[in-house]
Amino acid sequence: MKRILCTLALCTVPFLSACKKSGESAGGEEKLTIALLPKSKGNQYFVTCEKGARVAAAELGAELLFDGPTNSDPAKQNEIVENWISLGVDVIAAAAENKDGLSTALRKARAEGIEVITYDADAQTDARSFFVNQATAKGIGDALMDNAASLTGAEGEFAILTANLTAANQNEWIEVIKARQAEKYPNMKLVDIKPCDDQKDKAQQETTNLLSAYPNLKAVVAVCSPAVPGAAEAVKQAGKTGAVKVIGLGLPSENKAYVKEGVTQAVILWKVEDLGYLTIKAAAALAKGELKAGAAEFDAGKLGKLAVEGDNILLGTPFTFNKENIDQFDF
Amino acid sequence: MSTCCRYGVDETSTLLNAVMTAAKPSLKSLLARHEVVLLIVIALEILLFQSLGRRFLDGTNVSNIFRHSVEIGLLALAMTPVILTGGIDLSVGSMMGLCAVCFGIFVNEAAMSPLLAALLAVGIGTLGGGLNALLIARFQLPPLIVTLGTFSLFRGLAEALTKGSKSYSGFPDSFLALGNSDIAGVPAQIWIFLLVALGIWLLVHRMTIGRSFRAIGYSPEGARYAGIPVRRNLGLAYILAGAIAGLAAVILVARLGEARANAGIGYELLAITAVVLGGTSIFGGSGSVGGTLLGYLAVAVLNNGLSRITAYQLFDQPISSVARELSGMLTGLLLLLALAVTPLAKALAARRTKT
Amino acid sequence: MNGRYSREITVAAALGLLLVALAVFAPNFFELQPLLSRFTSQMPALVAAIGITLVIITRQIDISLGAQFSMCAVVAGLVAAAGMPLGVAILAAVGTGIAMGAFNGILVAWLGLPSIVVTLATMVTWNEMLRLWQQGRLLPLPDGIQWFGLSQAGGQGLVIGIAVVLLLAAAWAMRHLAAGRHVYATGTDAEAARLAGIDPKRVTLGVFVLMGGLAGLAAVLNLVQSPQVQPNSGDGLELKVIAAAVVGGVAINGGRGNLWGVLLGLLLLTNVNPALTHFKMEPYWERAIQGLVILLAVVADGMKRSKKSTA
Repeated sequence: MKRILCTLALCTVPFLSACKKSGESAGGEEKLTIALLPKSKGNQYFVTCEKGARVAAAELGAELLFDGPTNSDPAKQNEIVENWISLGVDVIAAAAENKDGLSTALRKARAEGIEVITYDADAQTDARSFFVNQATAKGIGDALMDNAASLTGAEGEFAILTANLTAANQNEWIEVIKARQAEKYPNMKLVDIKPCDDQKDKAQQETTNLLSAYPNLKAVVAVCSPAVPGAAEAVKQAGKTGAVKVIGLGLPSENKAYVKEGVTQAVILWKVEDLGYLTIKAAAALAKGELKAGAAEFDAGKLGKLAVEGDNILLGTPFTFNKENIDQFDF
Repeated sequence: MSTCCRYGVDETSTLLNAVMTAAKPSLKSLLARHEVVLLIVIALEILLFQSLGRRFLDGTNVSNIFRHSVEIGLLALAMTPVILTGGIDLSVGSMMGLCAVCFGIFVNEAAMSPLLAALLAVGIGTLGGGLNALLIARFQLPPLIVTLGTFSLFRGLAEALTKGSKSYSGFPDSFLALGNSDIAGVPAQIWIFLLVALGIWLLVHRMTIGRSFRAIGYSPEGARYAGIPVRRNLGLAYILAGAIAGLAAVILVARLGEARANAGIGYELLAITAVVLGGTSIFGGSGSVGGTLLGYLAVAVLNNGLSRITAYQLFDQPISSVARELSGMLTGLLLLLALAVTPLAKALAARRTKT
Repeated sequence: MNGRYSREITVAAALGLLLVALAVFAPNFFELQPLLSRFTSQMPALVAAIGITLVIITRQIDISLGAQFSMCAVVAGLVAAAGMPLGVAILAAVGTGIAMGAFNGILVAWLGLPSIVVTLATMVTWNEMLRLWQQGRLLPLPDGIQWFGLSQAGGQGLVIGIAVVLLLAAAWAMRHLAAGRHVYATGTDAEAARLAGIDPKRVTLGVFVLMGGLAGLAAVLNLVQSPQVQPNSGDGLELKVIAAAVVGGVAINGGRGNLWGVLLGLLLLTNVNPALTHFKMEPYWERAIQGLVILLAVVADGMKRSKKSTA
């Protein structure tokens, strides 16, 4: 029995000694605590977001908490938010994986007097004050569809690769793509939508299958970031570089090689680090009462003054990275 | 596999005689030992998190610990009889997904009352458990493989029903209260959990059928010769697991306010972890409901507590920011440790007597 | 001899049926390039399946193999990215796999802990460690790693070649080497095996080490198929290969099964999804169909057994 106790006691030692106490706030003034919730952790997109958020938090002298789900369990985001409520944070900034589910928890936070802001993927409008909009679903969907159309001469078959079939954000974009196609490009046809479970290798296999199942395929549109390099690799292996266009939403760093080789024609994305930065700036302003409903613009520090449309703070238009400009970006 | 009966009475069991009334004398020392270890682990966790964490023993947080883990606790309770029989049920998490989706369809598309829909969802869980029971108890197929198949099948059906993307929400507030309100200061769903826990405890420790679970796990052949209706009782364990998974799905939907195909994903592994951590042998034959509850508590407290440590850093990040990864790792290590302690101590003791 | 290969025949028939249906309704499936790419991408799973077959025949299980695969891929990727030659990266991956396999093996063989729980714990531990460490970033690989620095066709040939040679060697060894018979003997009855002079602990440790090494090798065969590594590349691999083994007729209670059945089982399961795409069916049914295939396989097993016992 003693031995067991000793073992247990010993086990906690390395854990404790590995920790170090972070800098205490220099007395007096209460630090603002901002909690940032990504759709998922272990995802380069949100890691980059967090980087920008840390810069903003350091500027503001605020404490930043960052935590998110590590798998697709739809209950995890709620658990984290409710944890933060009882932790007594000042403001929560959330990217919703499950719009309706997360809204339940965010409403609780607001009822407890915690300010709530959303970014990247919105919750229900009554569950938050503002949405930091990196680009509207319409903007993203239209940009993807227009790009696909201009690359293929606005005719022929195309397919979509998505994260998983339950991803709310992606589904919203896909709806916009479908609507845009029906409205403006009647000679194009969406033949299939395949999930890749956020795995690059699976995206590669799915694209290989799509290419042989639909020999007339003209373009692959990937709406989640691991799918873009996966699709590109499959097109390259099939020897269809240039014949089948690859476009998608993804980080420039992960696609640079394919864009330069001409396999991937365009990657569309906003400046992710700026999204994190802006979110924290807006969250802090909201908590301090500097950002109020009805504001027409928001002063976002190094990003300058940004437009506010209704309750959406706009980051700006999405950026299209191609052969010419991709070298200038390092995220 | 007879891990019981090998230990002499040691100092802890005398201390625990008063507490442990449920255990049989022959099992007592082993159970006592394991449950005491778990109690110490939980006490250490609480001590650690209270001293390092922020507002850990705060009332809402204590409620949250239970509220957030009650579904896994329910699955662990459901899994205990199954594992006692020497079986396993990998399908309970997927079952939750299927039941959640069916519940959503019943309320949103068939316009049923949430109560009726909940009963039907539990019914679907029972049916799914029945399929496992049929294949495992009637056709005597290996549980690991049968439930691996239904693990894919149930989740696959949930995805097919929703075409993967559809989710259901907009449930009435009276239903959401089940997942989000308190009754007598305790989260509403905890009352249900306590009822189920009491029921399973009575079943396993106070009824002949419970003894038969252990007998089947110890030796199915022997149980049959002893006149136990092995097939019926074995089947019952899986049917019960399915029904409880259905209940857990309803509670999860009530908490989230949204039903979708990926509900309960990965929960089966967390439930198995809690059961095994609680001292139930994965080979069947020995274990207790009390142990499962403690095992579940140890994991739930760890998971919550780490996310409250905001003032200390690990790898240049506040511990709360890496809480999910850390609690996963530590749960894995805790599980290994809990399993290894007994054989290690035995090996050391054997070496000491040799020299 | 009667019925000895009935499982293999059943699975082969199912696979044959699927292929015939594809030939009729979607002949594009058999175009050389996609067929080759598809087949190459299934090779890592085949190599991992060899390992899990041995583990299951020994009456154990290893659900940490996907996590091992991911870990080995990241280690190999980091070594390669540090400018080391490919050979060193391969050794690093296999070595890492062997170390993780040995860890499982020691706990299972020497301490007698149940393998399903041990590997559940190590799976969670490795996966979370990897997440803490890599945070999901795609790791770019230097030139000369993809396709082992060969042409695409050459690289694909080499990947398939390595996997097939491993399969043949393992199948031969299980039949003709003493070690192979020891694996079957340990899985059938460890006590009897011990009395016959086999050390079941060493056999058990051996198969776990082999499993780890094969997971490392599988990770390398996957790594060379693209110029980037994703740190969760092994997610879900364990379910895929365990299902393949079971469908291929490996008895979960140990002692029975062979690699040809596993090969057929793997080909059947991994081609369900491509077939759905080629039949232009919706992808939502994939998981349900896979579950059904597994259930049908075990039910077929059970019916055969009950027929035998009543006859």
